[in-house]
Parts: sequence; C-alpha cells; structure tokens
Amino acid sequence: MVLTMKAKSTLSALLLGVTLFSALPAVAGEALVIYSGRSDKFVKPVIKVFTEQTGIPVTLHSGKSTALLNKLMLEGAATSADLFLSNDAGNLQKGSDLDLFQPVNAALAAPIAANYRASDNSWIGLSARARVLVVNTEGEWANKLDSVFDLADPALKGKLGITNSTNGSYIAGVTVYMLAAGKEKTRQWLEGIKANAEGKVFNKHSKIVKAVARGKKQVGLVNHYYIYRHLAKYPEAPIKIVLPDQGPKDIGVAWNVAGVAISRHSKKRAQAEKLVAFLISEAGQKMFAEMNMEYPTRDGVSAAKQVPPAGSYKVADVPMAELGRQRDATLDLIEAVGMP
Amino acid sequence: MTTATRPRLLTFHFSPLATLASLVVLAAAIPLLYVVWNSLQLSGPQWAGLWTSRLPTLLWNTLSLALLVAIGSVLLGVSSAWLIARREFAGRRLAVWLMVLPLTIPTYVFAHIYTTLLEDDGWLGQLWIALFDSDQYLPDLFNVWGATLILTLAGFSYVFLLAHSALGVSTRSLEEAARIQGASRAEVFWRINLPLLRPAIAAALAVVVLHVLSDFGAVSMLQYQTFTLSIYLQMSGRFNYQAAAGLSLVLVLLSLTFLLLERFFRSRQRYYSTRQPRRQLRRRANMLETGLIWGWLGLITLLAFGLPLAWMLSWSWVAWQEQLIDAEFWGYVRNSLLVAVLAASVALVVALPVALYHARKRNLLGGILLQLSSVGFVLPGPVIALGILSFFLAQLPLLYGGMTALVIALVIRFLPLAVQSQDAAMAQLTPSLEQASRSLGAGPLETLWHITLPMIRGGMATAWVLVFIDALKELPATLILRPTGFDTLPVRIWIEASEEMLELAAPAALMLVIGTLPVLWILLRGERRGA
Repeated sequence: MVLTMKAKSTLSALLLGVTLFSALPAVAGEALVIYSGRSDKFVKPVIKVFTEQTGIPVTLHSGKSTALLNKLMLEGAATSADLFLSNDAGNLQKGSDLDLFQPVNAALAAPIAANYRASDNSWIGLSARARVLVVNTEGEWANKLDSVFDLADPALKGKLGITNSTNGSYIAGVTVYMLAAGKEKTRQWLEGIKANAEGKVFNKHSKIVKAVARGKKQVGLVNHYYIYRHLAKYPEAPIKIVLPDQGPKDIGVAWNVAGVAISRHSKKRAQAEKLVAFLISEAGQKMFAEMNMEYPTRDGVSAAKQVPPAGSYKVADVPMAELGRQRDATLDLIEAVGMP
Repeated sequence: MTTATRPRLLTFHFSPLATLASLVVLAAAIPLLYVVWNSLQLSGPQWAGLWTSRLPTLLWNTLSLALLVAIGSVLLGVSSAWLIARREFAGRRLAVWLMVLPLTIPTYVFAHIYTTLLEDDGWLGQLWIALFDSDQYLPDLFNVWGATLILTLAGFSYVFLLAHSALGVSTRSLEEAARIQGASRAEVFWRINLPLLRPAIAAALAVVVLHVLSDFGAVSMLQYQTFTLSIYLQMSGRFNYQAAAGLSLVLVLLSLTFLLLERFFRSRQRYYSTRQPRRQLRRRANMLETGLIWGWLGLITLLAFGLPLAWMLSWSWVAWQEQLIDAEFWGYVRNSLLVAVLAASVALVVALPVALYHARKRNLLGGILLQLSSVGFVLPGPVIALGILSFFLAQLPLLYGGMTALVIALVIRFLPLAVQSQDAAMAQLTPSLEQASRSLGAGPLETLWHITLPMIRGGMATAWVLVFIDALKELPATLILRPTGFDTLPVRIWIEASEEMLELAAPAALMLVIGTLPVLWILLRGERRGA
C-alpha cells in the first residue's frame, strides 16, 4: 500500500509538472489579442504601424472567420480575445446576434456610413468588396453579359467559373440576391449556374480569374480585387471587370464588408478602442483597404485608382447586417439546390 | 493489491492499477460523452431531418472512399512489402525507408501539393499538356478519385509496415510442402501466403480505414463531403453542435462496426507453428527482376515522396532566397516540436496503466478499458477538440488558455496508438519473470521499474514515436485548441496554403518531414537489426 501511495504521488507529481509546464504560456502579456479571419499579409503591416504609433503590442490569432467566431462563443468570459476581425459582414452580424461583442463609442463610429456597421455599433465595417463578373475579352461572351442572372443562361454550360458553396463571399452574395431579387428567382438562378458549372467548382477565386484569363472559362463570379491582383501580375491578361445589374430596374452590385468588433469580455477596452479608432482614421482606412484594393468604408477616403470608384455605380440596397441574419436561410437554399 | 495471477474473466476488484487505468479511460471518453450528451438533445424530427437530408450521401461518400483507399493501400502496401521481404536486391534496405517516408507528409500537404501540381501551370499539368497537347482532360482532384489518390499515397505505408513484418517470418516449410504437393507459385501465394497475411492486412486496413474516416485535412482541401467534413461544416458554418454531434454518433457507430468486423475476421483463423519461427530467406533477384522491382518501387516512391519532396524543396528555396525563413518561422518549428514531445510523453505515461492492466489481468474490465481507450481514433479531430474545449471551460477554467487543453486533446486522439503498442509488447512478455521478481521480495513498483519496463522498452519507444509523428502533423484539434497566437507548422501550412502563399507553406511542410526523420529511424531500428 505504501508503495502504491508512492506510485500515485510520483504519477501525480509527473502529471502536475506537465500541467504546470504546459500552462505556462497562458500567462499572456499586455498585448491586445485579435482573432483574425483576414489574411495575415493584409493585417500584419497595418498592425505594425499601429504598434509603432501607440506602443501597444498586438497578438494575431489567425484562422477561418467562422471557426474563430465559434471559439469566441464557446469561450465566453474565458476568452483572451479583445477584438474579432472578419472578411464577412455575415460573420460579424452573427457575432452581434450571439451577443459576443460590445458596442464601440457612437462618436468613434460616426465617420463610417451607417449601412457599413451594426445598428448598435457592435461591429464596424472597414473595407468593402464588390461581387462582380470577370469576363474573357477575347471570347464570344466578351460583351454579352451585364447581370449575374445571365450566368444561369444554358448557353454558358461549361463556360462559367464559380467557387464551392462553403466560400463566405459566395454565401454572402447569394444572400444579397435572395433579398434583392426574391427567393424563387434566386433558387432558379442557383439551379442554372449549378448546371453551367457542370459539377466542377473552384476552391479559390484566384483560380477562377486565372481560368477566365486562359480562356478555359468565359466568365466567373468573383470579388473585384481578385481581378486587379491578377492584372497586377499579368497586365496583358485578356480579362475585364463587369459591374453587373446596373439597369434602372436591376438590383445593383452586391457588396460585402470586412470589419472589426470588440469582444464583449475584453478586459482592455480602452486599448481595443484605440485600435478601432486607428482603423477608422483616414490613414488607417487607406492602409487597411488599399492593401487589398478594397473600398474604404469611411466617406471621403478613396479606393485604389484601378478600381471603379465607389458611387460611380449602383450597389444593391441590402443592409450588411442582413448578411448575418439571413445566412442560415441562404445555406438552406444552397443545400436544397445541392450546390457543389 | 491482489496477488492472484491466474486470468479471471469476470472477477476483479479495484486495485490501484485498475483505478488508474479506469481514470485514464474516463478522461479519454470525455469527447464521446460530449457527443452522446449533445446527440440526446436532438429531437425525433431532427434525427429524421438528418437522415433524409444528409446521411445517405454522407454514408455513400464516406464508405466508397474508405473502400477505394483500402483497395489502393493494399495494392501498394502488400506488393511492395512482398518484394522487399522476399527478394534480395541491390538497395533493398533503402527501399524499406522509401516505403515508410510518406508517413512524414500529412494528408492536407499531399492534397495541397497535388492540386498545385495538377494545375495547368503546375509540373504535372505542364507534362500533361506536353503529352496530350491540350489541358482539356487534365485530371482534377476535387472528387472521390482525387481523395482516394491522396489518402492512398498518405496511408499505404501502414499496410506496408505490418505486411512487411508478417512476411519476414518464415513460412518456408508450408510453402515447400505445398510445392512438393504440386502447387504452382501462384497457388502457393493465394492458398498459403495470402491467408497467413490476412491478420496483418486486416490490422493495417483498420488503421488505414480509421484514418480515412477521421481525416479532416485532405477532404476539406478537396471539398469532398465525408462525415468529418460535414460535421465540421455543421459546427463551424451553422453553429449547429447538436446536428454535428448526431452525425458524429453515426460515424462512431460506423467505426465500431468496422472494428468489430476486423476483430472477427482476425480471430476466425489462427495458425500455429510447432517450431521456433525462422527468419524468411530472401531469394536473390537477377538483373531483370531487380530492374522490374525498382521500376515498381520507384514509381511508388516518386508519387508518394519524391514529387512532394521536390515541390517542397523548390518552393523552400524560393522562400530562402526571399529571406522569408525568419525567427517567426523557427518559432513555429519550436512550438510544433514542443507540442508533439509533450503529447507523446504524456500519452506514453497514461497509456501504461491501461496496457498493463489489460495485458496482466485479461478480464472483462481490461478488455472494456482497452476498447474505450480507442475512442480517439473513431471521433473526428474537430469533435474531440470541441468536447475538450467545453469540458475545460465548464470544469477547469483555470487551466484553459495554456497548452494543457491542446496536449490533452492530442493525447486522447492518439492514445490508442500508445496503448496498443505497449499492450502488444506486454503480451509477448511472460508473467513468470514478474512473478519471480515478486517472490524474491520486490514490490510491484520495483518490479515494474526493474523488470517490466526494461523488457517492454521497444514497445514503449514505438508508442512514443507513433504518437509523436501523428501529433506533429495534427491539424483540426490544434486549430481549435492552440493557445492565443500559438502557431504550429500544420497551422501555418493551413493558413498559408489557403492564401496560396506556396513559398511559406513549403518550408513548413519540409520541416515536418525533417522533424519526423529521426523518430522514424527509431521506428525502423528493428529493421536494421534484422537485416
């Protein structure tokens, strides 16, 4: 029995040692923690300037937006996240609906147009992306397309590039079409593009643009910056952007915003607001959006010069917050159609 | 402490060892309890909804993939094991290494590399266009065949390892007897060798199929809807933990059915040899045969290791030239090694009581504990991570945030590897040595320390290595449970690959290969001794 006691104490000492050792990194420093669903390469340079200016260190915890939102929800008060950064208004609004965020000061949020932030300022949109068509300029479809609904035309069979249906931008786009054009029209449209994709979907938007540039596909549905990214590398590529649905009765271009929110359980609210203020400031806006050729959401700050200026075309009249509220309905629709 | 040594099936009382083993298994079962608890919240109509909307497709996708990967792995694994175990040819010992090296490459890295290579500007895409003058029929991996290719290349080594060691034991007397009776070579293979190989193949297939059922990385990169991917999407996209738990429960039942089937086929036939097993003699291959053998092994090596390695090296060279290999990168390497060493060491220690108890007592409790400790293999990684996350937040909030939750999740995921290696080593150890030690007055701990542990050293080393290799590559649980800002190589590969930063993903993948090499050397040491 004595030996057994000894065995137990040896083992428990061992386990305790391992536990303590592995618990060590838990003692976090003074750094602000961001759960970030946006590409590191777009976030890191901005954060670096912020830290230089304010002396506040920042820890980036990167991953997929939805996964990080789940983590934030499950962690509740135990979370170490001070801020949540996402490329999708749907995720941001979902977080607001789950009460994971705390509103930022109204005066702070004021420079951002109301449509690009939560009604209670619990999240703030920072940069917008447009859902557009990329068209091959040498093919027979070069000048024939002016609406996303044209993509369901059976004549485009095998000539259309779309991403798989788990893509956040894709889901957000479908939500906008569903709200602006109606559920039934969107369902029929999905059936059409499903047939045109012939079961082969792309896992990356950049690959769609590449396929269109090579003439393997005639048209693709993408976020606008993928086109400019490709053109920056291959200026001679035979592709062009088409801003769809611009007629007087048409729905306009679907937009989505990337944005930031302060975690409800952040213990560093003051510093977190400093970061939000920096991202909203004109300099911060320019840097954050331009990094990815997106549209700054602050009035008066313009996008990169290659990009069609905001205000020069019609944008679908769907509040960004709906992208979160209607996401489950959109997923149901996508699944009912059986999109790949 | 009981002193009885005769196996008793149904009588046991709670010795300290039994208590310890039960505690370990109870901890390992936390994710399963989480799944059962959450599935119980599903109402009848919700189950019906799951059944009609998802289950038929998921069952078909998952089972057909498992079957195809099983066939592919047996083809590659048994053929290479046969050639290497039964023929003497130049470079034979190198070949053993080449067949095991694919284990150093995670499935998501395979998937990423092959999709990149098969693009029209990738190496294989270019080759295809040069050969056929068009990229029209360029194969695409985003389907069942692509997933089969990737998971076969990543998994056939398990079949190779087990088949190779089974073929190393001589069956010459049986084969000679059959030849004397007039059987042809082919008949000998089908009627003698294959049946004798069956237990090894069955065990290897169990490992391969369980890896397929729980694979997250490759199927999510290839967007092939299996149970694991669908469970992840339910959780992450829809916040529907109950549906995810329901699907997990079905997956667990599927895996258990499969394990029982495997056990049934393995136990149905036993072969006994009356003599000490001799090592199999290898027939010397002539020049032509050597050429053919290397042609086949070379093709396997090229696809399962050569091409991926060349890709990693070429992009790592780009990263090196652009000076992207910085202190941060070495931080990822250090984090990965730290996590894998911790997980392997903890798994080794906690698996010991379970293995000891099962091997020594041979009673019902031991059997149940051994089976229950396998739960990590039948649950998908994201689900284990979620179960552990919820448990820590509810019960041990003070320990949350550090590496404890991550290490424990990895230990649970890979505990079966540690338990089974040590159990197998214990099974070969005769209890009489321990009894002698006890009768000479040594206490149970002294006996354990001086007799048992030194004798099962080999099994313990194997256990540590197997857990280390899998923990180093682990993705889904690490993604969810890593401490804030704590990135490992798999996490970085995942992030960089999804952003198409190939020059950043490649060196991380290369470091995984390099990090696994020394421990593979430990795993193959028996091979060197035998050869």
